[in-house]
Amino acid sequence: MTVFKTFLKILNKNKFIIILYTMFLIFFGGFNMQTSENNTNFVASKPDIMIVNYDEEKGITKDLIKYIEENSNVVDLKKNEDAINDALFYRDVNYVVYIPKNYNKDFMDGKNPEIEIKSTGDYQSSFAEMLLSRYIKVANIYQKSINSEEELISKINETLSKKSEVEITSKLDTNILSKATFYYNFANYSIMACLIYVICLILASFKDIKIQKRTIISSTNYKTLNRQLLLSNSLFSIILWMIYVTLSFILVGDIMFSIHGIFYLINSFVFTICATTIALFIGNIISNKNAISGIVNVIALGSSFLCGAFVPMEWLPEGVIKIAHILPSYYYISNNEILKTLEIINFNTIKPILLNIIIILSFSIIFIILTNIVSKRKQKIG
Amino acid sequence: MKNVIEVKNLIKEYKEIKAVDNLSFEVHEGEILGLLGPNGSGKTTTINCLLSLLNYSSGSIKIFGKEMKPDSYDIKSKIGVVFQDVAVFEELTVYDNIDYFCGLYIKDKKLRKQYIEDAIELVGLEEFKKFYPKQLSGGLLRRLNIACGIAHKPKLIFLDEPTVAVDPQSRNNILDGIKKLRDNGATIIYTTHYMEEVEIICDRIIILDKGKILATGTSDELKELAKIEEKITVEINELQENYIEDIKKSKNVDEVKYTNSLLLVTYTKGKNNLVELMEYLKENKIKYNKIYSERPTLNDVFLELTGKELRD
Ligand SMILES: Nc1ncnc2c1ncn2[C@@H]1O[C@H](COP(=O)(O)OP(=O)(O)OP(=O)(O)O)[C@@H](O)[C@H]1O
Ligand SMILES: [Mg+2]
Repeated sequence: MTVFKTFLKILNKNKFIIILYTMFLIFFGGFNMQTSENNTNFVASKPDIMIVNYDEEKGITKDLIKYIEENSNVVDLKKNEDAINDALFYRDVNYVVYIPKNYNKDFMDGKNPEIEIKSTGDYQSSFAEMLLSRYIKVANIYQKSINSEEELISKINETLSKKSEVEITSKLDTNILSKATFYYNFANYSIMACLIYVICLILASFKDIKIQKRTIISSTNYKTLNRQLLLSNSLFSIILWMIYVTLSFILVGDIMFSIHGIFYLINSFVFTICATTIALFIGNIISNKNAISGIVNVIALGSSFLCGAFVPMEWLPEGVIKIAHILPSYYYISNNEILKTLEIINFNTIKPILLNIIIILSFSIIFIILTNIVSKRKQKIG
Repeated sequence: MKNVIEVKNLIKEYKEIKAVDNLSFEVHEGEILGLLGPNGSGKTTTINCLLSLLNYSSGSIKIFGKEMKPDSYDIKSKIGVVFQDVAVFEELTVYDNIDYFCGLYIKDKKLRKQYIEDAIELVGLEEFKKFYPKQLSGGLLRRLNIACGIAHKPKLIFLDEPTVAVDPQSRNNILDGIKKLRDNGATIIYTTHYMEEVEIICDRIIILDKGKILATGTSDELKELAKIEEKITVEINELQENYIEDIKKSKNVDEVKYTNSLLLVTYTKGKNNLVELMEYLKENKIKYNKIYSERPTLNDVFLELTGKELRD
C-alpha cells in the first residue's frame, strides 16, 4: 500500500506527460480520420489504380485487368518510376499494380508468380489491395483443380460476381477499418513513449541508490516492496491501455464492437505488455532522470518511424523494413495492417495475426529475462 | 549497563585499503556515542557494516543481543538511520516523504499519522509540511532527512554527519532534536568530524583514524590524553627574543610561539599559570592588549595521537 500510494503521488506529479502523449494520439491519430471522414462519399466511388503490365494481355492477365477495370478507376500515366512516385505522392493514383512478364503462363503452371505493388497506404489504397488480393485468392483456389484456362476464368468470374453483393458493406468496413488501423498504429508511439517515460521516471525515484539504502535497512522486505512496485507499474500500463481503447471506441466507432475490434484490442493489449517490459528494462539500466526524455525519443519515436506507425510501411525502403523486423512494434503494426484488409475471419486468415502476437510475447519474455539479469548484477555491485 | 551494540574485531577491506581495521567496541543503552574522525577514517563504512548494507571481511556484530544479518527484520524494525547524503523523493512533499519512510515500519495509519506529526515537530518543520524538497534550504532539507530516518521512533539511531553544510542556527536546532531523542530513551550513534558537536552532545566518544580506534572515553577522559592542559594566548605588539627565552624556561611550560603579534604559551599542567604569566609581563613592563586561557580541545588530543590536525 505504501508503495502504491507513493507511486500514485509521483504519477500525479508527472501527469502532464500522460496528457501530452494522449493529446498527440487524439490529434494525430484522429486528425487523419477527420480528413477521411470528409471523403465518405468516396465509399461509393472507386480507387484510382494504375496497371503496369509487362505480360501479354491474354488469359488470366487479361481477366485480372478486366476485373480491376470494372471495380476501380484505371489511371493511365507515363510508365516512368519518377512519374509514378510523384503521382502517388499527389494522390493522383492510390495503387499501382505491376504484372510481371509471363504472369499468365507462370500462373497456369502453378508457380504462384508475385505481383509487385506500390501504394499510398491510405484507406483508398487498401480497398485496391483488397480487390487485388481477392482476385488472386479466388484464382489460386481454382487453379489447383482446373487446368483449362477458359474454364478457370469463367469459374473465377462466377465466384467473384457472387461476392459482389457484399461489396458495398465491405467497402464501408475498409474505410472504417483503415481508420482503426491508423489510430492503433499511432498508438504504438503514444503507448511506448508514455509507458517508458513514466515508468522510467518512477523507477528512477524508487531505485535511487540513496533511497534504496533507506529502503533496504527498513523492516519491510525489499523483495516485497519490489513486487509492489512491479504491480503498480503493471496496473498503470493496463489503465493507460484502457484509456486508449476507450478513446478508440469514441474516435473510430462501431467497428470496435466487431470481431475486428476485438483483435485490435488483443493486439494492442499484448503490445502494451511488451512496452511495459521494455520500460521496466530501461528503467533498470538508466537511473539518470535527465537522460530519460532522450531515450524515449530514440526508442519510441525511432521504432514508430522504422515500423511505419506514422507513414505506411509501403513507403519505407526495404532496408528499413528489414531492420524493423527486430522491433516488437513491427509485429504490432503488421497486425493492424492485416486487420485493415481482413475480410474473412477464420483460423487460416487469423494465423499470421496469432503468430505476430506470439512474437510480441516472446519479445516481452526476453525483456523480462534481461531485466532480471541486469538488476541481479546491480545488486552485486551495491 | 546493557549493551545495545557489540562489535568484535570488525574488518572491512576494499581492494587497496582496510577501510575498517579490527574495530571492537560497545554501545551502551541510552547513550549518545560519538564516532569522531577525519574524512575517510571509516565512519560511514563502519555504520554500513553494522546495518548489513555491506559485507564485511571478518568480525562479529550483535545488535540487541542478536547477530545482525541482512534479513534480521526484527532488529531492523527498531533501528533508524539518517545517512550522510540526503535521501528523499523529489516528487513528494515534506509530509509525504516522512509518510513513505515511516510507512515502511509502521503500518497502522492512525499511529503513523501521530508519529509523522511528532517527527515534524521534533525537527521543527511545521511550517513546511506541504513544501517539496526543492523548495527547502540546505538546513531544512537536512532536518527533513533526519525526520525521515527517525519518524518510526526507533530505539537505536544512527546519524551519519547529519549537520554537514548546515548553518549554525539549523545545527543547534538539529543537535537539540538529537538530545531530545536520547532523553526519550533512544540510543544514538553519531558520526562527525566536528569536534565541537561531539563535545556538546556525546556521552562517550570513539576517535577513529584510518579505520582504527585511537581512543575511547568521555570528552574529559580523552582530554587527559593530551600532553598539554592549558593554552594561554596574549596579544603583544612587540616582544624581544630574550623575553621569549625567559618564558620558555618558566614552570610547566611546554612550548612558546610568537607570531603575528600573538604569543602562544602551552602548559603541560599546573594551576595559576595565567596569574604567573601576567605577573612576569608586568614586572618586565611589557604592554599587552588581551590575554586569555583555554583548555585543550579534542583537536589537540587528535594532534597528540596522530601528529596531524583533525580537520585538513
Ligand atoms: N566502495 C568503496 N570502494 C573502495 N574504497 C572505498 C569505498 N567506500 C569507501 N572507501 C574507502 O574507505 C575509506 C573509508 O571511507 P568512509 O566513507 O567510511 O569514511 P568516512 O569516515 O565516512 O569519511 P567522511 O567523513 O568523508 O564521510 C576511505 O578511504 C574510502 O576511500
Ligand atoms: Mg562518511
